[in-house]
Amino acid sequence: MHRTQVIAQLLQSTPDIWSGHAVATARSHDTGHAELNALLPGHGWPVGALIELIPLMEGIGELSLLLPVLRRLCSAAHDVVFVRPPHIPYPPALARAGLPLNRMIWIDAKHDDDARWCAEQTLREGIAGAVLLWSDARRDIALRRLQLAAREGESLLFMYRPPGLLHAASPATVRVALRPQAGRLHLDVLKARGGRQASASLQLFRAA
Amino acid sequence: MLWACLHLPRLPIELREPRDVGVAAVTDQHGSRRYLIACNDTAQKAGLHHGMDATTALAYVPSVLLLKRAPVQEKRALNALASWALQFSSRVSMDAQRWLLWIEIGASLKYFDGLDALKQKIINGVESLSYSASLGIAPTPEAAALLAYGNSASCIEHRDAIQPAISALPIHCLSIATQVREHLHSVGLRNIGEVLDIPRDQLARRFGPEVTTYLQRLLGEAPDPRRPHVVATTYQRRFELAAAIYSVEALLFPLRRMLLELQGYLRSRDTALQLLHLRLNHEHTPATLLQIRTTAPQRDAQRLLMLLREKLERTALPEATTELVIKVDEFVSPGDTQMDFFAEAKSRDRSWTELLDKLRARLGEQAIKRLGLHDDHLPEKAWCVATDEARQQHADTASLPERPLWLIEPKLLHDLPQLLGKPERIECGWWNEDARRDYYIAETAEGARWWLYRDLDSAQWYLQGLWG
Repeated sequence: MHRTQVIAQLLQSTPDIWSGHAVATARSHDTGHAELNALLPGHGWPVGALIELIPLMEGIGELSLLLPVLRRLCSAAHDVVFVRPPHIPYPPALARAGLPLNRMIWIDAKHDDDARWCAEQTLREGIAGAVLLWSDARRDIALRRLQLAAREGESLLFMYRPPGLLHAASPATVRVALRPQAGRLHLDVLKARGGRQASASLQLFRAA
Repeated sequence: MLWACLHLPRLPIELREPRDVGVAAVTDQHGSRRYLIACNDTAQKAGLHHGMDATTALAYVPSVLLLKRAPVQEKRALNALASWALQFSSRVSMDAQRWLLWIEIGASLKYFDGLDALKQKIINGVESLSYSASLGIAPTPEAAALLAYGNSASCIEHRDAIQPAISALPIHCLSIATQVREHLHSVGLRNIGEVLDIPRDQLARRFGPEVTTYLQRLLGEAPDPRRPHVVATTYQRRFELAAAIYSVEALLFPLRRMLLELQGYLRSRDTALQLLHLRLNHEHTPATLLQIRTTAPQRDAQRLLMLLREKLERTALPEATTELVIKVDEFVSPGDTQMDFFAEAKSRDRSWTELLDKLRARLGEQAIKRLGLHDDHLPEKAWCVATDEARQQHADTASLPERPLWLIEPKLLHDLPQLLGKPERIECGWWNEDARRDYYIAETAEGARWWLYRDLDSAQWYLQGLWG
């Protein structure tokens, strides 16, 4: 037997050893963007993990980015929860994007801690397909709680954070910075546990 | 007929629930003599007992908290307990003087899988309400009461068995006037069997007809009609706290019992609620009123308690609470509150309902929204907040015009970003807002996409959406 085969076999039989590129083992949902899938562990948004999205500003397609995965969740009869979005998630636009409105729940929390509490409760219940949370929380413990709740409920958790926290430390499994670039959305994968730092650029809007 | 009789000897103290008060006892007055009628656990450990003089008790434990007996509260508590007991039988009656509650279980035995199972259910139920009670089961109410007093595990199932079973009991167990009892004692009678051996006509002549009537009822020789407990059409339960309570945690204890009683009541009537009122009375300030509204019919005490807890933790109480009142004005059919092990989707729906109720309890009714479309040309009116029930879906979503994912309150723009493409004209006639607007997609210098319009009447530019 060849040496590499032996090593591979040994690694297989010892699950305690974490191998950096064990990308395929994580459960994930197709992002709907091939360029992005290639960068993420498990080739998609990891399930049961904290995914941090840090848009440089609003109105750059930060929500459109998720439309493919949300559409797929809805068609599998899962609900999508918006927790404390910065603006009205406009129903005509959601409906046009193919998201059934009866699967959307908007939690209009006034305070950040209420919002995080709601997200945590929803995640723990394990009944939502995805939770989208907008929060300014910067404390590590708050993020860890959410991370744990997501793992417990096996849901997708997207947390939108302000650009000021771009360089802050975070326990998130995936962190992606979003910025506009010549009519496209440019993604910098800052961190992907089991993946690697890389960038991609997506065309989300039709050219006007 | 078979009667289960519950005797609650410590009801006067248990209904006050002076859990954290230390040594406490309830006293009653007889002439000038003040004596203990019920003690809490700590008092019993300290050596106090039923019947002890108040002065003696004070000598034993100077710090003892002596509470005056409150017959009205006792009756109220027993009433609530009777309503709770209706889940076991449609015939329930009570005697607030003797702290007794009777449940006719003969007709319910089959439904509850036999006598032992039902007995256990009743005992567990009372325990979960934090009352200590003894149970007696016999074919007549008075015989059942005798067994309950004696706290004997035995159970009389046939009328013929009553006499042999109770003959050995001492005569002080009999529920007859004290003077009569003393009189019987003075002529040398010690146990019930000896009294029953005396011919009835002689007994009636010497001690009055009440005694013979009582004995006939005891043995089932004469009918013993009892006023059945009937429930009011609205539910209200008042609970006076022994000491004013500041902390929410401490309030949860009496609330839990109140909700368990309510649950029993709702089950007995096969009904449920969607709106629960809780009133917290304070000594000086006006009462605090709280409401729990549930999305689906609810009767689960644990769930309701959890919702109340969420609410209480978010409510600033002006001062300590002296009294709790829960009230239900309207009942609804329980719907699918019954367990359904097979429908996973249904159980998920239920989880949603419960989750949303919990979130609403903390954030308020309006905070949890469902989205809907509204048939209107004006973008700000083309959507609505839908109710939970209105899970309708617009059939024709493909024909909807292109719209941004974020809608914002129109904001006056002074510097115009670069416009992309042709405008979309939106006009509403005089019957509506009388608006004429040209909508554009625009891109800012930084690269963000905006949705803006020019008001054709004022020629002003407004930002109304972001392409998120």
